[in-house]
Order: sequence, then C-alpha cells, then structure tokens
Amino acid sequence: MPDDRVIVVGAGPAGMAAAVALAEGGQRVLLVDQARTPGGAVHRAPLPGVAPLGLPEHRRRWAALTARATAQASRIETAFETRFAGVDATGAVLLTGARNRLLQPRGVIVALGARERVLPRPGWTLPGVLTAGAIQTGLKTSGEAPQGRVVLAGSGPLLLAVGAELAALGRPPVAIIEAARPFGAGALGLPLAYLAEAARYRLRLLGVPVLTGSRLVEIVPGLEAMVDTPKGPRRFAADLIGLHDGIAPNVSGLGGPCPIPLLRAGDGREALGARAAMLDGTRAGQAMLALLAGRPVPPEPAALIRQRAAQARLARIYARDEGAALDALPPDTILCRCESRSRADLAALGESPTGRDLRLTGRFGMGACQGRVCGEWVAHFAKTRDLGRPRLPLRPLSIADLLAVPAADTGD
Amino acid sequence: MSGAFDWKGAAVPFRAGETVASALLRSGVRDFGPFCGIGQCQGCLVRVDGRVTEACLALCRAGALVQPLEARDAG
Amino acid sequence: MLRLPFTQRGSRPLSGVATVSAEFDVAVLGAGIVGASCAWHLARRGARVVVIDASGPAAAASGASDGAVSVASKKPGVLARLATQSLLYTRTLAQDGPLRGHFHPRPAWYFATTEAELVALDALIAKLDALDGPVRSGRDGGAALLPGAGVLVRRLVEIRGEGHMTGYSAVRALLADPRIARLWPAAVAAIEPDDKGVTLALADGRSLRAGRVIAALGTSTPALFPGLPVRPLAGQLIITDRGAPGALEGALTAASYLIAKTADPSRLPEPPVVIDPLVTGQVLIGSSRVEHGDPARMDFDTILRLVRRAAAVWPALAERRVIRAFVGIRAAVADGLPIVGALPGFDRVLLATGFEGDGICLSALMGREVAAMALGDSPAEGVERDLAALSPARFEPAAREVAQ
Ligand SMILES: Cc1cc2nc3c(=O)[nH]c(=O)nc-3n(C[C@H](O)[C@H](O)[C@H](O)COP(=O)(O)OP(=O)(O)OC[C@H]3O[C@@H](n4cnc5c(N)ncnc54)[C@H](O)[C@@H]3O)c2cc1C
Ligand code: FES
Repeated sequence: MPDDRVIVVGAGPAGMAAAVALAEGGQRVLLVDQARTPGGAVHRAPLPGVAPLGLPEHRRRWAALTARATAQASRIETAFETRFAGVDATGAVLLTGARNRLLQPRGVIVALGARERVLPRPGWTLPGVLTAGAIQTGLKTSGEAPQGRVVLAGSGPLLLAVGAELAALGRPPVAIIEAARPFGAGALGLPLAYLAEAARYRLRLLGVPVLTGSRLVEIVPGLEAMVDTPKGPRRFAADLIGLHDGIAPNVSGLGGPCPIPLLRAGDGREALGARAAMLDGTRAGQAMLALLAGRPVPPEPAALIRQRAAQARLARIYARDEGAALDALPPDTILCRCESRSRADLAALGESPTGRDLRLTGRFGMGACQGRVCGEWVAHFAKTRDLGRPRLPLRPLSIADLLAVPAADTGD
Repeated sequence: MSGAFDWKGAAVPFRAGETVASALLRSGVRDFGPFCGIGQCQGCLVRVDGRVTEACLALCRAGALVQPLEARDAG
Repeated sequence: MLRLPFTQRGSRPLSGVATVSAEFDVAVLGAGIVGASCAWHLARRGARVVVIDASGPAAAASGASDGAVSVASKKPGVLARLATQSLLYTRTLAQDGPLRGHFHPRPAWYFATTEAELVALDALIAKLDALDGPVRSGRDGGAALLPGAGVLVRRLVEIRGEGHMTGYSAVRALLADPRIARLWPAAVAAIEPDDKGVTLALADGRSLRAGRVIAALGTSTPALFPGLPVRPLAGQLIITDRGAPGALEGALTAASYLIAKTADPSRLPEPPVVIDPLVTGQVLIGSSRVEHGDPARMDFDTILRLVRRAAAVWPALAERRVIRAFVGIRAAVADGLPIVGALPGFDRVLLATGFEGDGICLSALMGREVAAMALGDSPAEGVERDLAALSPARFEPAAREVAQ
C-alpha cells in the first residue's frame, strides 16, 4: 500500500540534513541506517561512556543538526540496525534487519556515504591488514587505540587524521606512508579550515615518520610492510596495517529505472567530505520537496560549489600515478578478495574480456561483495567499464529476514 | 551492560553496543577476514547463533555462539 | 525488392552498402547456446562458419538461465520426445565431445503441496512411462523421502537420468573450436537472400556474404522477423551464498512448473519455484514467468514470493543469504513450440529460435539437426516428424494475411 513518507537511507550528515529539510518542509520521513546510532562515518557515535573524538567545529555542527531533528521528532521516524536493500522497478523499498518491510514510499533519498578505495597489493588479504577507515571506526567507537604497532599506508588526508587520532589516544602509528607529496606550496591555496585541520594533525604526529612519495609495495606474513621510498627501500614490522587510497561514492547496485523520485546525497553522490555532505543533504531534501510538489528544483547552493572547488584542489595536491602502481603489480596479486581471483586469472580471459566473461568465466565481482571492492581495479585491467548492470539487492539479504517480511505489507 | 560470547570455545568479552568484529579484534583475534569495517567488503562473515552475518555490523549478545564460516562458505 | 516472409515490410535494400568482406558457407546469427551448437556442428562437418552476435557469447537467455537438461519438465508430445533425444545426444557430446566437463548427471525431484500439484505429479509419471526412455520416475512418497524437505510437502517424485549444464560455460566450450570464425559485437540489420547466397547487412555499415544463414536470435527474433509470434517472457532468478553442503543433490521443482507449461502462468496459485544446488555450492532459486522483456525490471515482491515458497519446502534455506537477483528473458512462442527450419520459400534462411525455458536442454540435438538442414542433409532417423512440427511454415498463412 502506498505510504505517505519519504525514506531517507543513511543517517550520516547528508541523510540527517535531508531528513531535517524534509520534515521542516512538512514531509513525513522514515530515516533508516544499518548502524545502531546516527552519525555515519564522520560522527560515528562512541560506545556508552566513551568520549567522542573528532574536531570541535564538526561536533558543533552535528549537534546543531541533531537538535533540529529532535525538534521534528513527530515527523521523523527512525529505523536503526535496518538495512536498505534497494528500490525496485516498481518503486518498492525493501528493508531488512531490525525491521523487515516492503514499503511504497513517495520518494527515496539515498545517502549511503563513501566507500574507501584500497589499491590491491601483494599480501593485502593477510590477517591484520584492514582499511585505515576500519581502524578509525574502531577507535571512534571504542575510544581505544589498538594494541601493537600500526602502519598506515596509501594516500589521502585520512591517513593523517587516523594517525593523529591514534596519537591522541596514546599509541601513535609506527609510520605513515603517503604515495603523493602533499605538503608542497600548492597546499597554501586551500581554505583556512583545511589548513588549520592539517596543522593540528601534523602537531599531534610530531616524531612519527611520514614518508611521502613512498609506496607500500608488499606485505609479507608475520606482518612486515615493504616500502619503496625516494631514498630506497625500507621495511616496517607491524601488528596492524591500515590501507587507504582515497574515497569514492558508495553507489554500486543503485541505478535501475524506478517510478518514484530517487535522489542521492552527500558522499554517496559525490565524495566531497563532511562539510559538503551536510549542505548536500539539505539540498537533496529541498529538491525532493520540490519534486513532490511539482515545483522547479532549486539550484545547488554556492557553498556546495565552493566545497567542490576546494576538494578539487585537495585532489591535485594528492595527485599520484595510481595506474603505474597497478600496472606494476605481480601477476599473482589477488584482485577479487571474495573469490581469490588474481591479476593472472584476469589476464587468462584474453585481450578484451566482456563484462560477462569477467563475471561468469572469471568470477570477478561474483562474490558476496558483488564487486564493490575490486570493481574499479578489474575495470582498469580489463580496460572496460562494462561490468554488467547494477543488480539488486544492494547487499546480501538473510533469507530468514525475508521470511519475516509481512506477506501483504501495508506499511507500519 | 556488557558480557561475553563464545568463539571457538573461548569466551570473548565485549562492551555494551560493541560489534562482534570490534570485540574479536580487541581480544587479538584477527583471522576472520575483517577489512573495511563498514559492511561493504563481506570479508568478515561469521555465523552468530547459526546465521551468517557481517561481524563488523552485528552487535554482540551475551552468550551468543559465534563461529567462523566453513571453507567455501562465503560467496 | 525481395521480401522475406515474416520480415519487416520495406526491409532495407542493400545496394550501396560497403564492400562484401568475406565469404562463408554458413553465417550463424546469435552466439547463444543454440547458435553455438549449430556453429560447432557445422565446423565439425567442414563448413566455413561464422558466428555473429550483437554483443557477445551467451549475452542473453543462455547466460541468465538455470541449466536443467530435463525431459520431465517438458510439455508431453513433441517437446518431451525431442528432449529425450537431445539428452541422449548431450551425454554423447559430454563423453568424448566438446561438452566434456560441462554436463553433470544428477537426480531431480518434483514436489506437490496442493491438490492440483498432486494431480500434476500423476500426469508426470504417466508421461515418463509413455516415453519409455532414459528418464524414469523413481521413488514416490511423502516428505520423509528426502531428509530436509519441509512438512508442507505432501508428495515427492524422484526423477532419474537427467542432468545439468551451465549455459554460459557450454557456449564458451562450443565456440572455442578454432574453425569457427567469430564476429562480435556486430548487429545484423538486414538479411537479403538471392539465387547464389545471402547478403547480411550489419548495423555498422559493413556487409557479409554467406551461402546460408541460421537465425538463432532468441528474444531478438522479432527485430528481424516481426511477423513471427515470438514474445519475451521474463523470469527472475535468485542466487544464494554458499552454505554447508546440504542433502540436496539435484533440483527440487514445484509440480506447478509442469502446470505452468500448459496453463496461463498468471493464474497459477503457487509460484512454479525450482531450488537448484549449483556446482559452486550456491543455490539458485527460480523463476517467475512474467510477460515482459526488460532485464532491468526486478521486483522485490516476486523475490519474496519465490523465497517464501522455496523456504517452505526446503527450510535449511533460511540459513542462507541472497547475494544476487536478476532477470532472464526467455523467447516464448504463441503455440508453445520452438521455431526450427527453413523460411517457407527461402531455403537459404533457417530459423532456430523460440526455445523458451528449454534451450539448454534442446541445444545439442537442434545444433546437429539445423546444421544438417543447412548442409542439405535429411534429419536423423526418428526425429523427422517432431522436427517438422517446429517448422516456421506453420505460421505462414497468418503472416501472409498481415502483409496484405
Ligand atoms: C572511513 C572514512 C573516514 C573519514 N574520516 C573523515 C574525517 O576524519 N574528516 C572528514 O572531514 N571527513 C572524513 N570522511 C569523509 C566524511 O566522513 C564524509 O564526507 C561524510 O561523513 C559523508 O556523509 P554522508 O552522510 O554522505 O555519508 P555517511 O556518513 O557515510 O552515512 C552513510 C550511512 O549509510 C549507512 N548505510 C550504508 N549502507 C546502508 C544500507 N544498505 N542500508 C542502511 N544503511 C546503510 C551507513 O551505516 C552510514 O550510516 C571519512 C570518510 C570515510 C569513508
Ligand atoms: S569488515 Fe568488511 S564487511 Fe565487515
């Protein structure tokens, strides 16, 4: 049965801002997130009794937004520990987990945030190798830095942020390995807030080697990071290695045609960071109100356009040659972690494999993650963009949960 | 509230609101495939009381039986 | 200008098209399982053959299907008899031919939970008895026959002698023959036969010359032959993750699937579900039957209905997760039979299409027989009458009326 709500998926800054904009415009909202609390990646709620990490101005902005959400509690219903499986061709939305429902909302705003890009490297499937974001998620919730020696490697401002947080919790990383050379004169063109943030990180990281223009080229068991630096090879013994090569929108699996308005917001639309995500959530909420009322959609706010320009500058500062790093990988490097498929397995498919060859013969992107992790690298080596049409469900669905969906669902 | 769950016969302690992956990692268990920490990579699948789920999303429950997946059990 | 039966009025004249690039004995249009089998049989017999496909091998139904090689599921009569022959021949090709390693013999089970399904199982047993072929019904009883079956199951019938073949890998294996020339992606825009051969105009402006052409175009058949009553019939499929190896050795199919083959699918009370353990350890749950041709039109309601029935008859599925769902499009024909044979009046243009949900099973035999037709040979003994029933000539009067 049709539902008079708009479903907002993702309760990070973008989703929360979208829900607030919708509710303040008089629209009822169902705000869904798979986590147990709101916050998303940047404002991930700590466990009870743990002090929140993060920069004070971010925390202030988030507190102001959640206060507005609380004021709209009669219009914003929340569903946590609930997963969004996608919008199908009829406009139905399937939710599973704490709630198992098939709903027919008026519209959907998807704010699923970013996914971390991690370049494949020999040894990247060894135990003890995580993404830098996973390490950050852990320390933000637990308020504890992991035991043992941590090496952070890859590229992007997140490496410094995680390093600084580890240091603040009393266990600084052994080394930070950055492929780009981001601390040159180009950095001076960045907005002041970014520079201040970077300066604070560097201060916390005093004494930690930050090797720029360097690459982690291999991880050997027992956990050692083999690093190529401009001054020659170095090795770092580690207990935990955090990899990170930037962020990208987390959108795979969305994109089929659907008969209701479907908008993306925040990092899930364009990975521009936390400040922009909140602005973009507000934009998406207002755009949805306009679409539902048949009014023209308002233009992007100027502040969002400024954030995009700043991110573009940041991207230039962190410029590095990823293609060369990929092409230098040895043939037995695993690309698809789910099905353990290597670069050599891909080469065996021939000169220019089709998307079907890659999936059905190569089994690339056929594992449980459905290519979310390896898709970009498989596309690079196969020289194709055709990895098949995006498929629902957005994520694996427990059949037990599906059986709990009421048969003739009339909403809740 | 906090408690412990069973992992290969050992009691793994957890704090209220903690995920299974976080509790395992804090106890020094690393070989269950965690990677992305946010439910995307599907590397950290475990069985919690028989049901397959991402360890990095599943919240701990006192007394739960958490098992590694059988070989070839994942994709 | 020449006009083929069943083709568009005013099909494009070929004068002025770019040069004829190559000369083949036979051009096979479509690199699905049927086209691949035709091409392999032609190449084996020494014909110069080219396979042309608008996108690539197994790009449509053959790559989006389950792969039951099954007699039990066929409509009684022509199709059940042809399926029997094709099963026997598939076994031969799997023993010392190109399908080695791709055909897996295994038992199958049919179940009933409703009155209508109980009756359909009686009809199934009678059908197999009458065929008196390699496929036999075996044990027949209640849910207890198959440890793991749910309590709602009222009756189970075991089927022996069938097997499974994954469409995509079989297509790859057949087309791996180095004697087969390949051309893709290349869409054929027009077919123009004359006294000496056939000219094929490709959408990109190139053209090609062959002695004969075999159109094995599946759901794309109406694009070149709009007068033929071929229509799309969508089926949603679900793939689960790998689980602990279960007791299920072969497909477990609802008897309503048998009813669906002879009745209006939209009026079936229970979805014609099949639970098929794949060689990867995953389980395929299929398939709906809906009248549309859009592979992007996936809906959760159908998934829920398939999953509910599947888990009711095989409760261990509740421990698994759905990792993927997709839509495959079958090419269905108005009278429920495939279309195989020469276009009336144009023996240089052969059709092999409209295999609906049976193409993987029938492909071995059809490839052999259509290759024989293309080379001017008579059909193998015992299949002549049934093959004749598939001739496109059966639609000719109607098509003529349309053209006037
Ligand atoms: C690991 C990581 C660390 C970062 N650290 C910083 C930092 O220190 N400083 C900074 O300025 N920026 C940081 N960023 C960028 C910043 O976090 C983002 O720009 C911002 O949080 C994006 O907000 P969002 O609302 O678009 O997405 P998110 O905040 O990521 O929110 C998306 C939400 O969707 C939920 N979700 C995902 N899939 C589903 C599903 N199928 N069903 C239901 N819910 C789902 C998630 O649980 C999440 O809550 C980081 C990004 C990442 C990935
Ligand atoms: S660590 Fe990637 S899904 Fe849990």
